[in-house]
Order: sequence, then C-alpha cells, then structure tokens
Amino acid sequence: MRYILRRLGFYAVAAWASLTLNFFLPRMMPGDPESVIFARFRGQLRPEEVEALREAYGLSDDPIFLQYFTYLTHVLRGDFGLSISAFPAPVTDVIATGLRWTLLLGGVSLVLGFVVGNALGVLGTWRRGSLLDSTLPPLLIFIGSFPYFWLATLALYLLSFELGWFPLRHAYSDRLSPSYSLDFVQSVLIHLILPAGTVVLVSIGGWLLGMRNTMIATLAEDYITFAEAKGLSQRRIMFSYAARNALLPNITAFGMALGFVLGGALLTEVVFSYPGLGYQLLTAVRNLDYPLMQGLFLMITFAVLGANLIVDLLYVRLDPRVRGS
Amino acid sequence: MGNDQPTDLVARMQGQRLNRRRLVQGAGALGLAVPALGASLRGQPAFAQDAPAVGQLVTVSEQQRSTWLRNFNPFTTDNLWPTGNGVHEPLGVFNLLTGEIVPWLATEWSFSPDNLVLTAKIRDGVMWSDGQPMTARDVAFTFNLFKPENNSGLLGAFMWDYLASVEASDDRTAVFTFGRVFTLGLYDVMGQNIVPEHVWSQVPNPLEHTNENPVATGPFTEIPVFNNQYWELHRNPTYWQEGKPQIQGLRFPAYPGNDQMLFATTNGENDWAGNFIPDIENTYVARDPEHHHYWFPATGDTVMLYLNTTVAPFNDPNVRKAISLGINRDQICAVAMYDYTHPADGTGLSDAFEDWKSPEAVAAGDWVTQDVDRANQMLDAAGLTRDGDVRKLPDGTEMSYDLNVVAGWTDWVSACQIISQDLEALGIRARVQGYEQPAWQERVQTGDFTMSIGWSTGGATPFGYYRGQMSTQRFKAIGESADENWHRYTNPQADELLDQFAATSDEAQQRQIAAQLQMIFAENAPAIPLFPGPQWGEFSTKRFTGFPSEENPYALLSTYAPTRLLVMMELKPVAAQ
Repeated sequence: MRYILRRLGFYAVAAWASLTLNFFLPRMMPGDPESVIFARFRGQLRPEEVEALREAYGLSDDPIFLQYFTYLTHVLRGDFGLSISAFPAPVTDVIATGLRWTLLLGGVSLVLGFVVGNALGVLGTWRRGSLLDSTLPPLLIFIGSFPYFWLATLALYLLSFELGWFPLRHAYSDRLSPSYSLDFVQSVLIHLILPAGTVVLVSIGGWLLGMRNTMIATLAEDYITFAEAKGLSQRRIMFSYAARNALLPNITAFGMALGFVLGGALLTEVVFSYPGLGYQLLTAVRNLDYPLMQGLFLMITFAVLGANLIVDLLYVRLDPRVRGS
Repeated sequence: MGNDQPTDLVARMQGQRLNRRRLVQGAGALGLAVPALGASLRGQPAFAQDAPAVGQLVTVSEQQRSTWLRNFNPFTTDNLWPTGNGVHEPLGVFNLLTGEIVPWLATEWSFSPDNLVLTAKIRDGVMWSDGQPMTARDVAFTFNLFKPENNSGLLGAFMWDYLASVEASDDRTAVFTFGRVFTLGLYDVMGQNIVPEHVWSQVPNPLEHTNENPVATGPFTEIPVFNNQYWELHRNPTYWQEGKPQIQGLRFPAYPGNDQMLFATTNGENDWAGNFIPDIENTYVARDPEHHHYWFPATGDTVMLYLNTTVAPFNDPNVRKAISLGINRDQICAVAMYDYTHPADGTGLSDAFEDWKSPEAVAAGDWVTQDVDRANQMLDAAGLTRDGDVRKLPDGTEMSYDLNVVAGWTDWVSACQIISQDLEALGIRARVQGYEQPAWQERVQTGDFTMSIGWSTGGATPFGYYRGQMSTQRFKAIGESADENWHRYTNPQADELLDQFAATSDEAQQRQIAAQLQMIFAENAPAIPLFPGPQWGEFSTKRFTGFPSEENPYALLSTYAPTRLLVMMELKPVAAQ
C-alpha cells in the first residue's frame, strides 16, 4: 500500500511538471504564430491582415505568469481553447478527428508486435541454436534497422501502387461513412494491413531481442534448474518459470510504448495518409499552434504517466519482491 | 540523404501551400518517391474500392491536411477550400492576367469625382442557397460585420483603415464611403466575399463560427458527404448563372504530405492541382501526354535577395548593385527552379505587370545581368578593398556574412548556394545559414540579419510591391516586427508617388506614376530581385475539360487565385462535349 501511495505522489508531481513544461516550452520557440500562418497564405492575404490574425488568435500580452495561471485553471476545467492552425476549431475537435484512428493503428501494431516478438523470443531462446534462434534475430534486426520511411514507401509503392493489392491511402474507403456495418469494418481492416504490418515488422526485432536477452539470463537461474530437477513439464518451465520472469523488463517497455501510442506514428500516418495525431502534432509545432501543442502534449504525457501507473500496479501482481518492500 | 530521411521528411510535411512546392523538391532528392513515380505504370491498378467516380466530380488537390475539419467561415484563414470564391462569392473577381475586375455579385461600380465614395450596383436575381434573395443590404451587413468596432479579428478588418461607412441606399445599391482617399481599396472591396444577413446576424460570435452548413450564393454549396478524410462539395441547385456550373461537384481526398499528393496527381487521380512538381515534363506529362498538362506562369511574387540597408556597406546603392551584378540568375533559374521561371529585371515586377513596365526603367536596371568585372570595379570604387580572397570594410572588418534561408525550402536553399558561390568571386563571403521557418521569419521581420532571401508582396497593381519595398508607411525600426520592407529602405520621393498612386482612380495616371516608381527602384536597388515566382497548376483532361492554359489564358490555373471561380464556370465533363 505504501508503495502504491508513494507512486501516486510521484505521479502527481510529474503531472504538474509536465503541465508547466507544456506551457513554457512551446513559447520558447522563436517566431510568432500569426506570421507563420500569414506566410502560409502569402499571395492570398494582404500584409495588413496580420493584425487581424493577431487579434483572432487572442494571443495575450499579459505577463507570462498570469497567462500560466489562466492556462492552469482552463486546463483544470478541461478547456484547451481554439486551435491556431485550424482556426477556429476547438483543440478538442481537432484531436477528435484523429484520436480513434491513432489508437487503432498504434494499439493494434503495438499489441501484435509485442505478442509476436515476445513469443518468438521465448521459443527461440528455449531452443537455443535452433534454426529459428540463429536466423530470426539477425534478420529482424536487419529489417528493423532500415529507415522506416523508406521501407513503408517501398511497401506502398510495390503492394499498393504497382500491384494494387492494398489501398493507396486513408483509414477506410472514401465511399463509406463511418458506421458499424460489415462493409465499413472490412474496409477499415483492409486499410489497416499495410500501415500496421510495416510497424509490426520493424518493431518485432526489438521485442524479440529484449526477450531473448533476459530469457538467457533467466534460464541460467537456479530455480530453473530446480524446476527441471522437480520434473516439471518443459512447457510449464518455459512459460511459468522462465518467460514470466523474463517478461518483466518488456512489460515496462510495453507500458512506455503504450503511452506513446497517442503521440501517433508520424511516418506511418504520412506515408499511408492515415489520419492521426502524429501529423497533427507536427502541424501544431510547425505553425506554433500553442493551444493544439498543449492539448496533444498533455494527452501524451498523461497517457504515458497513466500507462506507467498501470505497469507499476501490474508489477505488484507480477513481482512479489515489490510487494514486500 | 541517407539517414537524414526522417528529418528531411519532417521538413517536408507541413500542411501548407507555401512550402509544399519547395518541400516536394526534397522528395526528388530523397531519391525514391519521384523517380519511382516516373517509372512507367502498367494499367494503373488503383485499389478498385477507392477509384474516383469517373465523369461525376472533379478531384481537387489544394489543401494539405491529414484530416478535414468542417469550416466554411470566410472570415478565417483556415477554412476549407473553396469557401471564398467558390461557396461564397465576391462582388467582383480580380483577374491578374488581364488586370481587370470581372463583375460578379456587383454589375458595375464607380468612384465619385473626389474618389471618396464608391457606388456599386448589386446584381438582381441572385438567390442565397436557402432561397432568399441577395441584396445590397447583405453587402452592407458583411462589411459592417468585420468592422473592428463590431467584431475583432475577422479577415477584412484592415479595410476599415480607409473605409468610413458602408451602407445600402436601396436593395440594388451599395455605397462605400472612404475616410481618406485610397483608390486601391477598390480591389479589396470588390474581392470581399458576401455572407447573408439573415443567417449571420444570428451568429453570436462570427470569429469562432465554423459555418458548417453554409448559406451562400456560390456555384457549390451542398455538402452531402463529410468524413475526416474525404468530403464532397456539390453544386448549388439554385445558382444564378444559367446552366452553370456544368459539373456536378468537387471532391477532396485528404493528402497529408507532398508525396501522397504527388502520387495522386501523377497517377491521374487529381483532375486539378496546384502542386509544385519537380521536372514536370518527365514526372507528370510523360505519364499521359495526351491528358496531363501544366501551366506555370511567372506571375507570382518576385523572390528577392534582401540586404539590410541599415548595415554598412549595404546602405550604399552601388554596393547593392554590385552584389546583384555578381549573381548568375540564369543558373539560379535553371538549377534551383527547373527553368520554370526566368531572371527578374531591374524593376522587380513579375510577369503579371508586363504592360505596366517602363522600358526606360528596365534599361536603367542594368544591374541584374551578371558582370563580375563591373561588380568588382564598383566594389573597389566603394572603398571595399580586396585583401587576398576577401574584401574588407574601411575599418578593416572582413566582408563575411550569413545568408539566411528557410531550411528545407530546397529551391531557395539551392538559389542561396549559387549566390554564395557567385559572391565568392567578388570577395564577399556569404555563408548559407538555414533556419526553421518561424526563426527565419522572426529574423527578417525584426531586421536581425545582413543578407536573406525572401518573398515580396504582389497585388492587383505594382502599388503593393513598391509600397512593400520603399515606403515609410511599411517601415519599422530595427528590433520591431515589420510585415514587409525587411531591408528597411525608405525613399521620400517614393512615398510621395505612392500617395499619388492611391489618390487617383485614373489608370493612365497610375501607369505614369508606376513608371516613376520603377525608375526609383532601378536607380536605387533597395533590394535585389532574383526571379518572379511561378504559380503552380496542373490539370488532367481525362475526365474534364475547360481548364485555363497558356493557349487559353482566361484565368490563372492556380487553385488559390481568386479566378478559380472563373475556372469553376468553365469546367465540363468530357462526355458532355
């Protein structure tokens, strides 16, 4: 219990710190949003219009600390303001257009990558020196070390553009509107194969290697030898004794990755024109869209903190040593 | 490029028109996407489910976004294309190619003899898309809506600098009273898109109104489909122009980046696009020579080399001219711009103002063709003595400067690299220094630079350009943020001429004044013009015809030009011919 309380206290401080950084960091970037937006519409807007933009975005001239407290109270009320790069859409509306697709793409590829990578890691290490163990890790690391953008573009070009097996873009067919119909679900799945598939392909190697490393160390432990001496089934030793213990570091990594899912898979989204938060974040940063940046960063940091909290709690269940201390 | 790919990609991914064309060049350097597209495509096996519906809707590639947000508010910047001049309509459509305003919601207009009152006749028989008639009262309402006293932050507000009141004297007559004489306000006033009073008077906060179901007069007002990655804009069933538009509507798939846009354009999926495409003959036209066409007239704003005229020796016009003489503009146009444009002349005006140009001023601006010997002589004469490879100022400091550019805008970067090499021959060191766009912009705006490449201001007449280059009105001291006149140059004679220009509505007189302004520019070289910017436009005649082109230049092909409204009237499906 004390462990949990201590962790909760830590999370409260971390949340406040991230809220604060969230406010000050974007404002330390050089330039001002109205000039950047004006530049985007150069040739269509008169230079005199910059003044109107300045007023529209409501950028305050108050002392920065006053602005900071206004920001804190607004955030506590759940008010993130209006986006500047998609003015006058509220930040929450902007995020809503990509959130569920980022969760779908990120979630599916993370879980698939984690499950497949770890399973391969466990099996490979259990049969050390086997064909699986000697070929798979180097091969996957090789694939994983390709620049992702290159790999994804190649996949898109060959499989979608030349062969036409998969759609060229988007999360579902342009001819369908989101609904729970079979057609729509099918369309979503077909559109998900390439984006998620390429992410899984490059991420498996990392999970596999992590698992393999701890698994090797675990297999050398006395309790494994003891379990074998007791005559337990290979299967039981592999999963309940070795894999369960070896999994701990990867669980931490999974928690981290889970939080970062909300950051969006920027390159995947761009290559496959997949709607998501990664690209929104980039647009926000490039346009000095403070409110949107704050909204997205806040969501990401809270997701990371939340995921870590869950991992911490999970540790209590998985690792008896934590419970004891 | 190698491992730089992800960063390069990030540099290329802004959802922005401005950067799109520059950024796309990065794709060429990336060595994958564009050459791959150049390869022959066998039968275009597009995923059947997503193939565009042939002959129904025109696919337009204009805005770069990963997801669409429903906003048709013409008073905000980030509304969906074509909220202005498409869904909503202006009083008149300014055509840069002819220099004339095409009557639209207004049928005729005239200034009073003292140029203080502009009276416009409003077209009869125009209906809002909800069936109500459009009158001069809607016009007066629109202008009063964005009046700063009534609502702050709406686009158009700047017009109230010179407007005093806007009223409807009857249903067909709108009267614009000016607070001071500013005849160029005509172009702003006529270009304003009009909104219905009976709808917008109910809107509590027009600035934050997203106007999701626009009531408008334009050719396209119906939105039957709106999803986060795709939307359609269909024609207005009650449009006032008989038999127009001739197409059913427009469709907009979301493309988040340049590569995706290029994929779709070169693949023939986009019927109308305003993309920069490198090496277009090979990457686009060759894909389908019969149907794929482009037109890049050099009518955009002139790209300039700015020297900070508050810093010695750049306060000396002869030094500025010498630097200009050192630059090989032909090479810049060929290498950095794929020969899409040509060197600027000494007036700095783009091709849009060809018939405004004064031959005397063009001749006086003889400092735009490379002549290294003459440049060196002028620099010697200015007291900048060469010591080894580098020249020195009279006080002994070396002529060694940063040449600022936006990192990732590859055409500008490549132009700067050529300039840097050219200046080396003059004994001046110019190190190309790339900044992220906001940082670059902050430097030019506050005058915190010595040399920088940059854009200039365009407009309906040469007035905007010369005001941005030489006027005290647009001048800000070093340290203060200037929207134009980054080089900080003022000229009392130019001020006077600009005032005269804006005080007359007689075009012959304006042309005469413009000739004098050109002469001042050519004699003083306040900044160094490099090349007029091309305006990008591509179209495919596979499904639709009627697009403007070099052979039929009735309007600009650029999707963002106000003349898009003229183009929308002319488009028709191939089958209907």
